[in-house]
Amino acid sequence: MRSSSILILLALLPIAGCTDVREREIAAFCGPALAKVDSFVETFSGRGWEEERYGGTVVVAAVADLRGGMNGFDASQAASAQHQMFVNLMTLIQYDEDLNPVPYLARSWETSEDLTELTFHLRNDVYWHDGEPTTAHDVEFTFLRASDPATNYANSAFFQYYRPGREGVEVLDSFTVRFHLTKPHMDFMDPWRAVGIMPRHLLEDVPPSELSQHPFGTICPVGNGPFLFLSHDPGAQWIFGANPAFPEGLGGRPYLDRYVFRVIEEAPTLLAELQTGSVDVYAGLLPHYAASVAENPDLTVVAYPYRAVLFAGWNARIPKLADERVRRALTVGTNRHRILEGVRRGVGTVVNTAVPVTHWAYDPTLSDSFPYDPEQARALLSAAGWEDTDGDGIRENEEGEPLSIDFLFNPNQERQEVAEIMQAQLGEVGVDLQPRGMELNAFLSTIFSPERKFEGFMIAWESEFRLDERDLFHSQAVNGPYAFSGIQDSILDRYLDTLQLVTDREEAKPLWREYQLRLMELHPYTFLYSYYRQNGVNRRLRGVRMDVRGDWQNIREWWIAPEDRRQP
Amino acid sequence: MARKLGLLVPGLLQLLDRRWLEGGTALTLWVALLTLATTRFPRILQSLSEGLDGWIALLTLLLVLGGLWGWSVRDRMKSGGGDRVLPGGGGHLWTTFRRNRLAVLGLWIVGALYLIALLTPLLAPFDPAYQPAFQAGETGLIMAPPSWGHILGTDQLSRDILSRILYGSRISLSVGLLAVGISVTMGALLGAVAGHLGGWIDAVLMRVVDVVMAFPRLVLLIALVAFFDSSIFLIIGALALTQWPFTTRVVRGEVLSLKEREFTEAARALGFSNSRIILRHLLPNAMAPVIVTATLGIGNTIILEAGLSFLGLGVKAPTPSWGIMVATGRSYLSHAWWIATFPGLAIVLAVLAFNLVGDGLRDALDPRQSREVSG
Amino acid sequence: MISYVFRRVLTAVPLLLGVATIVFLVLSLAPGDPSAIYFGPGMSPETLERIRRDLGLDDPLLVQYFRWLFSFVRGDFGYSFASNMPVSRRILAALPNTFVLASISLLVAFGAGVLMGVVQAVRQYSLLDSALSTVSLFFYSMPSFWLAIMLILVFSVNASQWGWPVALPVSGVVGTDHDLLGPLEQLQDRARHLVLPVLSLTLVLAAGVARYVRTSMLEVIRQDYIRTARAKGLSEFRVIFKHGLRNGLIPVVTLLGLSLPSLLSGTVFIEYVFSWPGVGKLLVDSILQRDYPVVLAGTFLLGGMVVVGNLVADLLYGVVDPRIRHGVRNG
Repeated sequence: MRSSSILILLALLPIAGCTDVREREIAAFCGPALAKVDSFVETFSGRGWEEERYGGTVVVAAVADLRGGMNGFDASQAASAQHQMFVNLMTLIQYDEDLNPVPYLARSWETSEDLTELTFHLRNDVYWHDGEPTTAHDVEFTFLRASDPATNYANSAFFQYYRPGREGVEVLDSFTVRFHLTKPHMDFMDPWRAVGIMPRHLLEDVPPSELSQHPFGTICPVGNGPFLFLSHDPGAQWIFGANPAFPEGLGGRPYLDRYVFRVIEEAPTLLAELQTGSVDVYAGLLPHYAASVAENPDLTVVAYPYRAVLFAGWNARIPKLADERVRRALTVGTNRHRILEGVRRGVGTVVNTAVPVTHWAYDPTLSDSFPYDPEQARALLSAAGWEDTDGDGIRENEEGEPLSIDFLFNPNQERQEVAEIMQAQLGEVGVDLQPRGMELNAFLSTIFSPERKFEGFMIAWESEFRLDERDLFHSQAVNGPYAFSGIQDSILDRYLDTLQLVTDREEAKPLWREYQLRLMELHPYTFLYSYYRQNGVNRRLRGVRMDVRGDWQNIREWWIAPEDRRQP
Repeated sequence: MARKLGLLVPGLLQLLDRRWLEGGTALTLWVALLTLATTRFPRILQSLSEGLDGWIALLTLLLVLGGLWGWSVRDRMKSGGGDRVLPGGGGHLWTTFRRNRLAVLGLWIVGALYLIALLTPLLAPFDPAYQPAFQAGETGLIMAPPSWGHILGTDQLSRDILSRILYGSRISLSVGLLAVGISVTMGALLGAVAGHLGGWIDAVLMRVVDVVMAFPRLVLLIALVAFFDSSIFLIIGALALTQWPFTTRVVRGEVLSLKEREFTEAARALGFSNSRIILRHLLPNAMAPVIVTATLGIGNTIILEAGLSFLGLGVKAPTPSWGIMVATGRSYLSHAWWIATFPGLAIVLAVLAFNLVGDGLRDALDPRQSREVSG
Repeated sequence: MISYVFRRVLTAVPLLLGVATIVFLVLSLAPGDPSAIYFGPGMSPETLERIRRDLGLDDPLLVQYFRWLFSFVRGDFGYSFASNMPVSRRILAALPNTFVLASISLLVAFGAGVLMGVVQAVRQYSLLDSALSTVSLFFYSMPSFWLAIMLILVFSVNASQWGWPVALPVSGVVGTDHDLLGPLEQLQDRARHLVLPVLSLTLVLAAGVARYVRTSMLEVIRQDYIRTARAKGLSEFRVIFKHGLRNGLIPVVTLLGLSLPSLLSGTVFIEYVFSWPGVGKLLVDSILQRDYPVVLAGTFLLGGMVVVGNLVADLLYGVVDPRIRHGVRNG
C-alpha cells in the first residue's frame, strides 16, 4: 500500500517533469529504504496477536502539521519532537510519573564518581524498521551530528558541557557507548530523554548542514520506535502502523494497529469532527471548547499543567522600553488574573518569571507579586516622564513622542484575544498597544534576528525539563537569537552560571528563588501565565495517560476494545 | 392649514397626494432622524468631543433633515402634484426604475445603510472596542445571548455585536464604494482610450486585460494583501487593481461600436481633440452598461473584502469588520452562533440591496426590456 | 476550424507567460525578507546566508526572473522549505482534489442553473419565476464561506438536535481507514465527504448561472425564429430545447469560460473552511507562510487552469457556433 503510493507518484513524475533533480534524488533515497521496511515487516506477517486489546485505529488531530517530521535533528516544533520521541524513534531513556529516568533504548547506565563520564548499555533487541540492528554507532552518530554546529540543531545547548566532537563520545562495543563531559551539571540526563536516536546507516553520507532539512523526515522516515511510517499526505495526514518487531522486553508491539495523525487547521471543524467521532483526540483543545466537550458523554477532557509560560516580551534596547519603570507599569497595568479567567477559564497560574509551575524550582509565593494596580501604573509612567499632554488619552514624553508599542504575535485565537484585552486595559492607563498578527515564520525570524526590529511581542515559551535560561538573559548570550530583551546584569549572570553547575536540587532551590527575585527586579518582560495543556479525548480510547511528559508519552499502551473500533 | 403643516412635516402632503414612495420615504426618514436627535441628544454632544466621526455624524443628521425640508418646500412650489418629469434621458430612466418595486426596495436599503453608516457614532449603543468583562469585571457578559441589554448578544470578549456590526458597516460600505469607484474610473478611461486610439495602445492594453482577467481574482488579492502589510488603503487599492479590466472591456466594446456612428466622425471633422471626444462624447454614451456592472460589482467587492477579513488579511484590531467577525464567530459556533450569524446576515443584506439596484438599473436601461414593461 | 484551433492555442502561450510574470513581480516587490521562511530557531546567520546564495536571492531581479522561468519550463518547480519536500510533490498531491471538487461543482451548478434559467424564462413573471428569482438572488448575495459555515452548523454540529439523520463529514477528502474499505464503500465515503463542499460552491454558482441564463433565454425567446417554430406547431418542449437552447447556449459557453476564475476563487474559501487538501488551500497556506516557491508554482497553475479553461470554452464555441465551424469569417 505504501509502495503503491510511491508508484503512483513515480507514474506522475513525467507530468511533473522528471527532470526535477530533487525528485530523482528523493526517489533514489526513499525507494530502496521503504522497500526494505516492507520486506522486513513481511517477515512478521505470520505472527498473530491473540489478546483482544490488539487492533484498531486511533485518529489524533491538531491544527498544525508536524513540520519537523520524524527527523530527530529538527527539534523546532514540540509536536514533531514528541512524535520523534514516542512514536517513530526511540530515546535512550524515558521518564516515569515522578520524572525519574527509566530504561528505554538503554537498558542501564552508570556515571563515574566525578560525574564527568556517562556510560549507556543499550538493548540488543532493537531493530530499525528496515531490519538493521540499532547499535551504539547510531548513538555516536546522533551525538556527533547534534553537537556539530554545522547541523544547527536547535537544542545544541543540551551538549554544552560535553567534550566536543569525537572527544565527547566513545563506542566501547556494539551496544555500549560512553560520553565524556567537561563539567558535572544540573539534570544532565535530560537530553537523553529528548533526543531521538537517528539511523547512521541511512544518513551518514548526508552533509551535516543538510541534515535538518532532509526530506527523510517528511517523506520516508525510517525509525525504530513502536510505530513505523506508512504514509504522509503533506498538510493533511500521517499514517503509522504498529511495529511488530518492537522488543518484547519493552512491552512488544503496541496494541493499536494503526495511528493516524490528521491536520485540520480550522479549530471549529476539528471540534465538530471530535464530537461526531471521526477524530479520537483533539490535541490542543481550545479552552472555550472544554465545557462543551465535557458535556458530551462520549468525550472527556484530559488536562494537565504544562511546562510553558506565556509572556509579553519587551525590547529593552529601544529608548521607550529601556526604563524598568515603564515595563513594570505595563505589567501592573494588565489585569492578568482577569485575562486568565476570560481566555482560559481560569485554568492556569499567573506567574512572574519563566519558570513553569511544573518545574521543581517553581516558588508559588513569587506569583503574588505585581498585582493589578492601574493607579500604580499611571504613577510609574508619570515618574518615567510620560504624561498625556494633548488630551488624546495616550501619554507622550518630553519630545512629544507617543507611548505606542507595536505588539507582534502569532495569530491564533488565544493570542488574538489576549492581545486585544491587553490593548483595552493598557489603553486605560495611557499606553497605546498596537497588536499586529504576523505569520509564524516571519514572526520568529523577526524576533530572533540580530537586528531586533521589534518593540513588543507575545510568545508561549516552552521549556525542557532541564531549565537553562542563559540563552534568554545572560550577557554573553545578548547577541544570540533568544535574548529578546537585551538586558545585561552581572548579578543575574552569576546566578545563571552557578545554577547550571549545582547538581543537588535542594541546594539549588534557594538559589533559584534568589535568581527569580533578581529577574523580577530587573523586570524585562510581562510574564502572563503558566497554562494547562488540554486535550479532548474520546472515551473509547483507553489507557491514555497524558501529562507533563507529553501527550503521546504512552501511545504504545493505548488501546480500543473490539466493540468500539471503527469498522472494518 | 394643511399646507402649512405639510411644509413642516416633509412627506405628509406627498402622502395625501398618493405619492406613496416619495411621501413614505420622506416621512419615515424625518420621524426617525428627529427621534434620534431628541432621544440621543447627550450622546450627540459626547460624540462631538470624540473627533471627526462625531462631527460627520452630526453634520449628516443636520444635512439630511435640512435636505428633507428643502425638498419638501421645493416640491410644493413646483407643480401642484402628479408625476414630475426630470429633464433629459434621466427622467425616463427614473420612471422605469421606480416601477420595479424590488429595485426601489434595494435603493431604499442602500440609502438606509449608508445613512446608518454615517450616523453610527450616534446610533451604536456601545463602543465597539469596549470589553466590560475585562475592563469592568462583568464576566457574565462573555458570549451573552441576545437580550434587551445587548440586542444581538456579545462576543467572546464581551463586546456588543450590534455596535460592532454598525461600525463594521462603515468599513464594508466605504471599501465597496471606493474600490469600485476607482476601478470604474480607471477602467472606463483606459477602455475609452484603447477603443478610440486603437493601434498598439489598444493591443497592449487588451493583452494586459486578458492576463489580469485570467487570474483567479481572489488569489491575486490575497497575495497582494498578505505580502504588502495590510491597511485599508491597500485593500481598496488591491480590489480596484483587480477589477478595472472588466470595465475596460465593456467600455472599449461600446466605444468601438460608437466609432461607427456618425457623431464621432462629425466631432473629428469639427476638429475636437481626442481627449475632448473621449471625455465629453464617448464616455457618457458608454456608461450605461458600466453603471450596471459597477453596481453589481459593489456587492461582489463587499463579499471579497469580507472574505479577506475572514482569512485574517483585513483591517487590524480593534476595528471591527464583518468578515473578521464571521471568522472569530466560527470558533464559537456551537456555543454562540450569534457571533458568526448576524454579521453574515448583514453582508447578505448589503449585497442583496446592491444587487437589486443593479438588476433594476439593468432592466431600466435595456431598451427592449423597457418596451416590454411599458408596452 | 483547424486554423481557429491553432490560433487560439497560440494566443494562450503569451497569456501564460503574462500570468507567470505578474506572479513573479508581486512576489519580488513584496517587502520583507523572502528567506524568512527558511529561518529555524537556532539557525546560524551563516547557514541563512548560504541558503540565500544557493537560491540566488541576492542576484539582480532580471537574472532571478529568467532563471526561475527556465526552471519552470523544465519542470523544476523548486523546493518547499515549509514542508521539506519538492514543490511539485505538494502540488501533485493537491491537484486531483481541486479538480474533483471544481468539476463536480461546475457540472451540478451549470446543470441546475441552466434548468432554472430556462424554466424562469419560459414562465416569466409567474409565481415560480418570482420565487426562483428571489431564491437565486438570495444565494447570489451570500458569501460562500458564510454559507459553508451555516451548512456545517446545520448538517454537522447540530445535526442530531435538528433531526438530520446523518451527520455529514466536514473535513478531508476521505475518512479514516479509507484504504481498508471495499471499493464500493470507498466510493460512498468519498461521496459523503463531497456533499457539503460541493453544496456550498454549487448554490452560489448556480444562482449566478440561473440569473444569466434567464436573461439570455429571454432574449432568445423573443427572436423571430422561435415564433416561426411555434407557428409551425412544434411542441413547446422542442421549441425551447431544440431551437432555443442551442442558440441560448452560446452565451452559456461564454459564461463557462468567464466563471472559471470565480469558481477557482470560490474553491479557495471552500477548501479552507472544509480542510479540503486542494490547490486553493495549499495556496492560501503557502501565502500566509511566505512559502514563495509554492506560491509561484500554485498561482501559475491556477492561472494556467483558467487559461486552459477559456481555451476549451473557445473551442466549444467553435463547435456550437456554425459560423466558426464552417470557416465563415466575421466582418
